[in-house]
Amino acid sequence: MRLTSDALKLDMPSVEARIKRFIQNYVKKCGANGVVLGMSGGVDSSTAAAITALALGGDAVLGIMLPEEETYSDMDTKHAQLVAKKFGFQLETVDMSPILRSCYHSLPVYDAADKLSKGNLKARTRMVCLYYYANRLNKLVCGSSDKSETMIGYFTKWGDAAADISPLMDLYKTQVRQLALHIGVPKEIATKPSTPALWPNQLAEEELGIKYETLDLILFGLEHFMATEEIAEQLNLPVKLVAGVKKRWLASEHKRRQPLTAKIGYRTVGSDFRLPYTLR
Amino acid sequence: MLKSINVALAQISCKVGDREHNLNVMKRNIRQARDRDANLIVFPELALTGYTCRDLLYELAEPVPEGPSTHCLEQVAKKEDIHVIFGMPERSEKARAALYNTAVLLGPKGFIGKYRKTHLPTHSAFEEKRYFRLGYQAPVFETDVGRLGMIVCYDVFFPEITRLLRLKGSQLIVCISASPAVRREFFEVLTVARAIENTVYLAYVNLVGVEDGLQFWGGSRIVAPNGKIVSQAKHDEEDLVVGRIDYTDLEKTETFVPTLRDLRPELFSLLKEQAENL
Repeated sequence: MRLTSDALKLDMPSVEARIKRFIQNYVKKCGANGVVLGMSGGVDSSTAAAITALALGGDAVLGIMLPEEETYSDMDTKHAQLVAKKFGFQLETVDMSPILRSCYHSLPVYDAADKLSKGNLKARTRMVCLYYYANRLNKLVCGSSDKSETMIGYFTKWGDAAADISPLMDLYKTQVRQLALHIGVPKEIATKPSTPALWPNQLAEEELGIKYETLDLILFGLEHFMATEEIAEQLNLPVKLVAGVKKRWLASEHKRRQPLTAKIGYRTVGSDFRLPYTLR
Repeated sequence: MLKSINVALAQISCKVGDREHNLNVMKRNIRQARDRDANLIVFPELALTGYTCRDLLYELAEPVPEGPSTHCLEQVAKKEDIHVIFGMPERSEKARAALYNTAVLLGPKGFIGKYRKTHLPTHSAFEEKRYFRLGYQAPVFETDVGRLGMIVCYDVFFPEITRLLRLKGSQLIVCISASPAVRREFFEVLTVARAIENTVYLAYVNLVGVEDGLQFWGGSRIVAPNGKIVSQAKHDEEDLVVGRIDYTDLEKTETFVPTLRDLRPELFSLLKEQAENL
């Protein structure tokens, strides 16, 4: 198997059709009125919102912008509005700043210097708001996590990855960009640098220390059971870099699964209770 | 025995875990097929229950032919004077945890026989060996609609089972399936290959619809012994296609491409030896 950008190319009309059918089917089986999505103005949430609107119709989709004072961006807001207008769904804004300030004041151990804990609090507060809307409106929360970030654990546990469905989760970031362009997400959004927006000026590729074009090929190799050395050789990368990505992937499995428990019973939640997802 | 028959490919979508719903869908399709002069109607793998039942299989599986679902469809087959093949989870009468992924054959006089899936996929998104026991028989059934052999889905990847059914006299191999879209290219090739290499008719019936993350692609078809696709159902949506099978074509194709005449039986023992030492 050759690790080139061709390996990540997909038949986009088929991918679009499959994802739309998946969304339509699950929303219908759940008896929901549609979906709510957190809209950041980035490529993942814009693509998730666009494809759900194409699948369900814009009336069934509610995009929610969740800005807060430390990371507010005019450009991101404009991008979210652009996508909402183009794909015909409603957009609401919930200013998270007062909620977050209240949290900061209420938590005895709060420390503004601890960027990670504070950033995770923001991601989880977004999740709380989205689920409130979903409950009130009988909608599902649609996540926009991609496969690259999910595999390396570059997300907040029970935060941005928390959702009822995640239709893009089997697409690497570069594949999400391909899908975005295919379904008509404006190019300036489809190609813009990603940020989790947990603190000011945070850029995913800077923080990860690797371009998504490279990361995706490493992950693609790992997905296909390739050895670290073989991936490094093919991509002309240091073995240490590839090994570091592999380590991140293996170390973050706890973020992708139900909480682990000590096996005591006959059948155990999260391990050997194996039931269909969609029994209603 | 009829020299030519009409076969209905009932490409249905199932409600997971809901036998009553799925039986009603099957009954409706049987009536429609009969209205279109079908002699045989074929439903997909595990059509009674849906494919992704997981632990529910233990409560959904039934003995065959003694179970209520087989009995129910027997009555419909008798009433509509038609042959029916459908997939269901079968429970052994002797051991409750011994389940089989079974294709059931019914006729106008009731139950005719069954085939238990021989190759159980347990890789990728599939976990069949966790639930099902391997089948050990490859029966061929002499019926009014031809000499029929049955295989189930992943069996089509293994030329030995279809070859065996053909050597036992099958004129028509029925492959019932629950194949997700990521496997479509494989099945499109393999269904044609199995028909050509055995000079046999092959009727392939796949599930459609979405179950959990899996999307079944449909694309049911009848492949003639020369590899030509003589009937084709839609992709990704429910369909009921009735196609004609003329058994007199078998002889013509066998003369043109005499694969059975040219078989080299001595290779089979070599195959066995190598397969045991993989």
